[in-house]
Amino acid sequence: MIWSVAWKNIWRNRMRSLVVVMAIALGLLGGIFSSAVLKGTSDQRVREAVSRETSHLQLHNPKYIEDQEVIYFIGTGYKPIAAVLDTIRSVEAWSPRVKFIAMAGSANAGIGVMVNGIDPELERQVTEIHSLICDTCGGWFKGGRGVPVVVGQALVKKLKVRLNSKIILTFQDMQGNLTGGAFRICGIYRTSNSVFDEMNVFVGRSEICTLLGADSLLCHEIAVRMKDPAETARVQNLLQSTFPDLKVQNWKEIDPILGMLNDFMDLWLYLFMGIILLALGFGIVNTMLMAILERTRELGMLAAIGMNKFRLFLMIMLESVFLSLTGGIIGIILATGLTLYTRHTGINLGSFAEGFEKIGYNPVLYPSLDPYFFINLTILVIFTGILASLYPARQALRLRPADAVRNE
Amino acid sequence: MSIIAIENLEKSYHDSEIEVRALNGINLNFEEGEFTAIVGPSGSGKTTLLNMIGGLDKPDRGTILIGGNDITRLSSRKLIDFRLRNIGFVFQSYNLIPVLTAMENVEFIMHLQKIPRADREKRAMELLESVGLGDRIHSRPSKLSGGQQQRVAVARALASRPAFILADEPTANLDSQSTRNLLGIMERLNHEEQVTFIFSTHDQRVVEKAHRIIVLEDGKVVTDRENIPAIEP
Repeated sequence: MIWSVAWKNIWRNRMRSLVVVMAIALGLLGGIFSSAVLKGTSDQRVREAVSRETSHLQLHNPKYIEDQEVIYFIGTGYKPIAAVLDTIRSVEAWSPRVKFIAMAGSANAGIGVMVNGIDPELERQVTEIHSLICDTCGGWFKGGRGVPVVVGQALVKKLKVRLNSKIILTFQDMQGNLTGGAFRICGIYRTSNSVFDEMNVFVGRSEICTLLGADSLLCHEIAVRMKDPAETARVQNLLQSTFPDLKVQNWKEIDPILGMLNDFMDLWLYLFMGIILLALGFGIVNTMLMAILERTRELGMLAAIGMNKFRLFLMIMLESVFLSLTGGIIGIILATGLTLYTRHTGINLGSFAEGFEKIGYNPVLYPSLDPYFFINLTILVIFTGILASLYPARQALRLRPADAVRNE
Repeated sequence: MSIIAIENLEKSYHDSEIEVRALNGINLNFEEGEFTAIVGPSGSGKTTLLNMIGGLDKPDRGTILIGGNDITRLSSRKLIDFRLRNIGFVFQSYNLIPVLTAMENVEFIMHLQKIPRADREKRAMELLESVGLGDRIHSRPSKLSGGQQQRVAVARALASRPAFILADEPTANLDSQSTRNLLGIMERLNHEEQVTFIFSTHDQRVVEKAHRIIVLEDGKVVTDRENIPAIEP
């Protein structure tokens, strides 16, 4: 019955309660939707970075991580590692890479790049660069004359070249001598990270090994794609213990900024919502204090006839919780609707595309939120209601029934 | 045996630097089934005395024994529970819960006593019928007249089956007709069901109906006499 009285009590002053409910609902709508956009952007960046840049795991010679010199390769070659990776069920694919810094030059310009010597068929199972080549931009190591190279669109612009143009890659071979080769652009890819596109060129591993004067099993990096990303840590530990001479890193370790973005985002969302709820909490406190002031005589009567302090507190707390929960549920429903809609349509910030791509973000944002976020948010809303009831309830409990019942 | 025994009750209030002696050595006994009016001019201590008997305030000195328990020594928590189970209150301003119907207002106190729903609904219905509001059980206080609201308040006071009912100026806000109706109901409950009523009043019509009249002046009992109630013409 106290629950029912508390619910009815909040509708005594309908307009006042509606104003508070709408304030909470709109506050949460804004907060949740902003959080969804941030979370969606962050998730999208992480997803794209993992599938295009870092993969889930990478294995290196530890010295290569400190100094990306061509001589710091994986000593055993990639075959023994590949044999182990093939036995791990949660590993979807792996790709050996010969990877070093070189100078890319055209007739018009020159620029430093990271050469990725890959086996095209193995690489396409690990990264999705092959799928980011548009219909008129060639293909993933398909046909044509000369030694093929796949380059990013940003590099094409920088070197002022086009599809089928020839570029020269100059680098040091295994003996430290300057060497190089001419490559024909067979494909131009475009990710949402223009810095990556400008930096990374993909060539065949066997061709590059020949130019380096190295064994065909040479590799500096083995990238691993997981079937189940949740298994990453376990597989990382397994590989590290199996190959103690190598350094096995997960994507968070490979790109610490990306890792921090992912880890910090959840904390940030709760902090953000916490601040919004705190502000809304003050509104609830004010409303509850007014309600208590208006009902002094009634509260005195309840205490006089034998309603104990716990029940009195419970009633006021429930009123505050109902008020915040009503606004909270409306806000969550509105925000869910808006999030689902924009997740379907995307929010196209095309006019800011260049800026977004420079920092590695896709200009089309797809808001997303974890269902657990809504559950936790509902708990936070209830907690806000309880917190906001403490001071008004304390004021009510301090009333002396003898005085309160005669209050005018 | 007395249901209420008051001995040497004293209470002072401090208003700035002035000490006001609201009760000054009160000694009184109340028997079961009494219909007692406490009268006196404003500031004589009527309300303070009722607050003390009702356990809403604590005296500076003296004892109040109700059913053998000295309520002046009870902790705040025990006193609230004692009030719930032993004392019925009727207030001058009715003090009903506006969001509840007449029936729910009467039921509420039984809910606090943890009486099962079916039992409390049955008793609330009976009580509202006994105060003549059987046809208004679903009305909220705002839809009832002052007299009807005070009758709901009497039904509410009776709902917890208290040892006695304290009524502080119960007719102060009522017109003559409503006063007559309310007094009629209180008298009937007193006569037929032996409900003990102790009420403070300024209203001469109420005083005339009392079986016992206690007159207070300056916090002291100046008169305590039996009264033969006036008979309605």
